[in-house]
Amino acid sequence: MSDHQLADWRNHAQTLETAINKVVVGQESPIRLITTAIFSRGHVLLEGDVGVGKTTLLRAFTRCIGGGYQRIEGTIDLMPNDLVYHTYLGEDGKPHVSPGPLLMSGENLSVFFFNEINRARPQVHSLLLRVMAERTLSAFNKEHHFPHMLVFADRNQVEKEETFEIPSAARDRFMMEIPIVVPDDDAIMESLAFDTKFHNVDALVETLPENVLQFDKLNAFSNVIQSSVEASPTLRHYALNLWRATKTPTAYGVKVSGVDMNRLVLSGASPRGMSMMLRAARVNAWLNNRESVLPEDIHTVFHSTVAHRLVFSPVYEMRRTEIARELLTGIVNAVAAP
Amino acid sequence: MELNLTMIKTKRFSYKWLSIYSASLMAIILSLCSVSLAFANDEPSPEIPANKIKLFLTSPERDVGYTVGDILTRKIRLEVQKPYCLIPTTLPIAGYERRYKNQVTGIEVRKISHSEESNASSHTYTINIEYQVFTTGPTAKPVALPAEVIKFQGAKKDDIVQYTIPSFRFRVSPLAVFGAVKIEYDMSTFNPPLLLQTYPEKQKLVACLTTLALSLIGLLYILGSRAWMPLMGRPFANAARTLKKLKTNEDGVRQGISRIHQALNTTAKTSVFNDSTDLFCRENPKFKPLENELKRFFEMSHAVFFDTQHQSSNHEKNMLWLRTFCRQCRDCERGLIPNLKSTEALKK
Repeated sequence: MSDHQLADWRNHAQTLETAINKVVVGQESPIRLITTAIFSRGHVLLEGDVGVGKTTLLRAFTRCIGGGYQRIEGTIDLMPNDLVYHTYLGEDGKPHVSPGPLLMSGENLSVFFFNEINRARPQVHSLLLRVMAERTLSAFNKEHHFPHMLVFADRNQVEKEETFEIPSAARDRFMMEIPIVVPDDDAIMESLAFDTKFHNVDALVETLPENVLQFDKLNAFSNVIQSSVEASPTLRHYALNLWRATKTPTAYGVKVSGVDMNRLVLSGASPRGMSMMLRAARVNAWLNNRESVLPEDIHTVFHSTVAHRLVFSPVYEMRRTEIARELLTGIVNAVAAP
Repeated sequence: MELNLTMIKTKRFSYKWLSIYSASLMAIILSLCSVSLAFANDEPSPEIPANKIKLFLTSPERDVGYTVGDILTRKIRLEVQKPYCLIPTTLPIAGYERRYKNQVTGIEVRKISHSEESNASSHTYTINIEYQVFTTGPTAKPVALPAEVIKFQGAKKDDIVQYTIPSFRFRVSPLAVFGAVKIEYDMSTFNPPLLLQTYPEKQKLVACLTTLALSLIGLLYILGSRAWMPLMGRPFANAARTLKKLKTNEDGVRQGISRIHQALNTTAKTSVFNDSTDLFCRENPKFKPLENELKRFFEMSHAVFFDTQHQSSNHEKNMLWLRTFCRQCRDCERGLIPNLKSTEALKK
């Protein structure tokens, strides 16, 4: 039963990837990572420049997953209650209260899309922090549950005006932070610029099939994956070494050019981060039709699941993306398995 | 009465002076006897028969180029037939200055030592005498280590004979005082060139060259990845030696795979995984012929270390393949073309 179920869902996942790769071109790796996050039941933060297709990518996934979809734009005057409810004057001239984006779909909320999350205030981040971790919210004297909810958020690193840095505690709630870069391939770049089908994003997303995955069965199936895919003692030892290396990279001889390694890392990956990494690695092994996790599965998800959890000295925070990339590559190169 | 008193006084006086006189006379006689004894050695004695003595003499090598203060050593070895034996008091005395025509010669015995060996028929005396030059002059001056006369006691008490060690003639060069010597007046072709002692410098040079050579060898050893020969001690060569010693069981196979992983990582200077074998072959083109074998090695590694459900039990075949693969890697490491047929045969 389980084997059949695993194969069946793998076909769904491949259908999902194939469909989205047609709409968002040149982003095979991020698409694979988001698929992995969906089956690992982890929240995703996309990071990239303006206009590279972050929102389109998330909207495409949202359409394919099905279920309730809500979206909010991060702004400097956005307050936590804007996520929970909004008030207005009705036709009867009386004030009315309506559920906000978090509550509107109830338990069927499958994707909550937070656009430009770094424009929102820390108070909003704080609310989101609880919703992401516990998938519950207290409002109107009632506990609301969102068991199927995934938070997709994006931020651009270019603009710093009127933005708030996401605190490390909030970053840690995201399973993955995936960088989106413009593809280098000339044909793809030409297609993006001249092919008219990419000009109208709404029409483009409309071409995707709906409900490729059954959003309300993803939680249960995710548990099946986690229990079916094995991690050998050698792999566990390897993962632990990787974890230790994120805390004390100098002990493994890892160096980053132009960086004082003794001062760089204030805090390595968290236990939650490592468990998420292993969840994602198991899903990657399943997507590759394997029953055991290999070091290569960990490598596939290592950067996206660990980089945003590292806490660097403030002096290196401005160069976080490049330093984290070099540091984690150095760790993968330095730690041997077996 | 007065006369008697005077006589008595005169007698007393004469007794007193007589005793003083006799004491003085005795002292003079004794002193004369001792002087005569002291000078008894200096009296010439007959020469020792030539067949009774053999001389082995080592004099200084050169006879020129000495200056005031220099020390010259003579080694005298005398083999004397019994019953003659050396009278040690006839040997020259350290500090004794010889005179010639009542003028000091300027050659002084600085140190003397002697030893004796005997056998049934003869005595052998080894005498080392150091002379120091205490003379100089404005020009080269002929001087000599004096002929030493050594005496021997025969069988009877009055049978004393002597033997003369020949003198050694040499030249004492003047000390050149600035302004006192004009070099153009001192260009004698008889003067040998002044040679410097090069032995200490040669010793230092040899020591420095030895140290340098050892350092270079050490440096080459370190730069050569701690191998004495260019193709020795490389990662896969070491791994192949380790694999030979491993047992053919599950543990041996695991250790063998780990050892090859180590060799791969050392060669690549980074951790090599299945997804980076292409990069490894690009950066180490010598291993390009083994691209497929590398893939198979990682498959085996995955099966042994990571696949918890499908474990192979054919350890003998696996170990044989690992050893063959490791030897192929060693060949690639040495720039040789590996024999791929050996692993192809093992696939069957």
